[in-house]
Amino acid sequence: MNAVIADALADPTPRSLWSAAVRKLARDRAGLIGLAVVLAYLVAALGVWLGLWATEWAEITGSKWAPVSAEHWFGTNIIGQDIFQRGIYSTATAFEVGLVVAVLAAALGGVLGALAGFFVGSWIDELILWAMGVLDAMPFYLLVAAVAFALADNPWSMHVAMIATFWTTTSRLVRGEVIKLRGMEFVEAARAIGVPPTVTIFRHILPNTTHILLVQMTLAFVDAIKAEVILSFLGLGVKGGMSWGLMISESTLEFLGGHFNNLIAASCLMFGLVYAFNMFADALQDALDPKQVSA
Amino acid sequence: MDLLRFALRKLLAGLPLILGVTLLSFTLMVYFGPDKTYQLLGKNPTPEQIAEIRHELGYDRPFVTRYVEYLRQLVTLDFGNSDSTGEEVNAVLARTIPVSLALELPGFILGNLLAIGLALTAGYFRGGWPDKLIMGLAVIGMSISFLIVIFAFQIWFCTSYGLDWFPVRGWKAENLAEYLRHIAVPTLATMFVALGYSTRFYRAVIVEELNRDHVRTARAYGTPPARLFYRNILKNCAIPIITRIMFTIPSIVIGGALLIETTFGIPGVGKVAYEAIVSGDQPVLKAVVGLTALLFVVTLLITDILYRAVDPRVSIR
Repeated sequence: MNAVIADALADPTPRSLWSAAVRKLARDRAGLIGLAVVLAYLVAALGVWLGLWATEWAEITGSKWAPVSAEHWFGTNIIGQDIFQRGIYSTATAFEVGLVVAVLAAALGGVLGALAGFFVGSWIDELILWAMGVLDAMPFYLLVAAVAFALADNPWSMHVAMIATFWTTTSRLVRGEVIKLRGMEFVEAARAIGVPPTVTIFRHILPNTTHILLVQMTLAFVDAIKAEVILSFLGLGVKGGMSWGLMISESTLEFLGGHFNNLIAASCLMFGLVYAFNMFADALQDALDPKQVSA
Repeated sequence: MDLLRFALRKLLAGLPLILGVTLLSFTLMVYFGPDKTYQLLGKNPTPEQIAEIRHELGYDRPFVTRYVEYLRQLVTLDFGNSDSTGEEVNAVLARTIPVSLALELPGFILGNLLAIGLALTAGYFRGGWPDKLIMGLAVIGMSISFLIVIFAFQIWFCTSYGLDWFPVRGWKAENLAEYLRHIAVPTLATMFVALGYSTRFYRAVIVEELNRDHVRTARAYGTPPARLFYRNILKNCAIPIITRIMFTIPSIVIGGALLIETTFGIPGVGKVAYEAIVSGDQPVLKAVVGLTALLFVVTLLITDILYRAVDPRVSIR
């Protein structure tokens, strides 16, 4: 305790939530390693997007079920495609799904949660709460399947379904935070000088919930990648591309022959990204927890 | 009497939720869902035959009429016959729901008990190596896909590449031994996947309670750990724990079983519901989604009543 006080006295510059969070994050070794691994995956994904590598993921470049070799790092699959290239290509798919779903779900949840919280008790709040309740009461996989059919095999149907269900958690948290914030002086001051409600919400209140949005985005990113794998297996996920889920679903055809390279490659690549992201998300959550900033 | 009035009021408050879920699912699954007309017709149908089939399936009636008809079915619990097999929907549900429950319940109960046990251990040794080990394993468990767990366990326990102890697919429950043999691997997979998330959640709740003054006082007075955990901690954590357990129930009855049932070839309600979506079997879909919504509202109600039972501060008025 004395050390904290001494620390505070020695450093008279006021510390914001953000600079404190960055300092805390910089001291969290597990979190930093997680971030580094995630960035390495991101580089792999960028390379795929730029067409630098994994360009032959759909080509038959070897014989069926070729073993691990210098040419085929993880061997080949049932028709002789290179598993390593397919795994790396799938990294880009994972980032695409994760980022699109995380950003849009957090944006939707943030805006609707802020509206509900600011107008708490009004019909707007009731309506948004009702929508959240309805979406939470629907079984997730049935909803995704239904959206996939309603959108007539549109490649974005999986993203739409995930965004439609993932925003509710963010929205509930933001709503709770905004209910707290709307009673504070700066909101009162904004109202007193005649700032219209929409400006108050988007300029003054929503920026104060960024820490919630950021943490929720990391959680949604992980959830989206995990959901993609299951949905692709069920035939409701990625269409016209390659993903870890499709690789795993393809690998089920190879079990009887005793070939597990496809399953192991997809599983390990996916586990690496999700585990690293979970470590980073934990560190971020600790760093951004306002309750812990002073401690 | 108070309790009955409370229950009725809560159920009434749940009505908009049921209307919302049924409207959304109806629009998505029934109105935009797959069209079964041509699957049921023979080759080269005449326009009259097409019109007749569409009339039979109800496709020619307006949206509102069909939705109201759905609500009537939900209230009377009479969903007609399946489009695909002609079997009565209620008979399908009566056959499949018990299978899903028998499949999911053991894993659900054991998983939660184990998670609470691990969370208590981690909380008790907070900051020590048991805590770090348990929480480290929890993050690893959270990072492995359910699908990978299922396949890994299937290969490991059910094939000659591993131990080859249990059947890979199928369902038999004539006697206890057969039943246990068939649920063993699905149960292990379900528990493994749920354990990471549950343990972390329960630990967070327990640690928050551990920090409170009354726990410190009880400790200072030398309360033995078992008693401390039960009386001073678990009882006070009951509300978040109950909430979490209760809210998983609707999804384990319908949704959570889907993946397990598909991969292990078990004829439960999740598999039936999934097949109904893919084939556009509207009567089955309507029943499953409508009943899930009902179950959700009933769960909300029971949760509220349980709050009252464990925490005298919660009023039912």
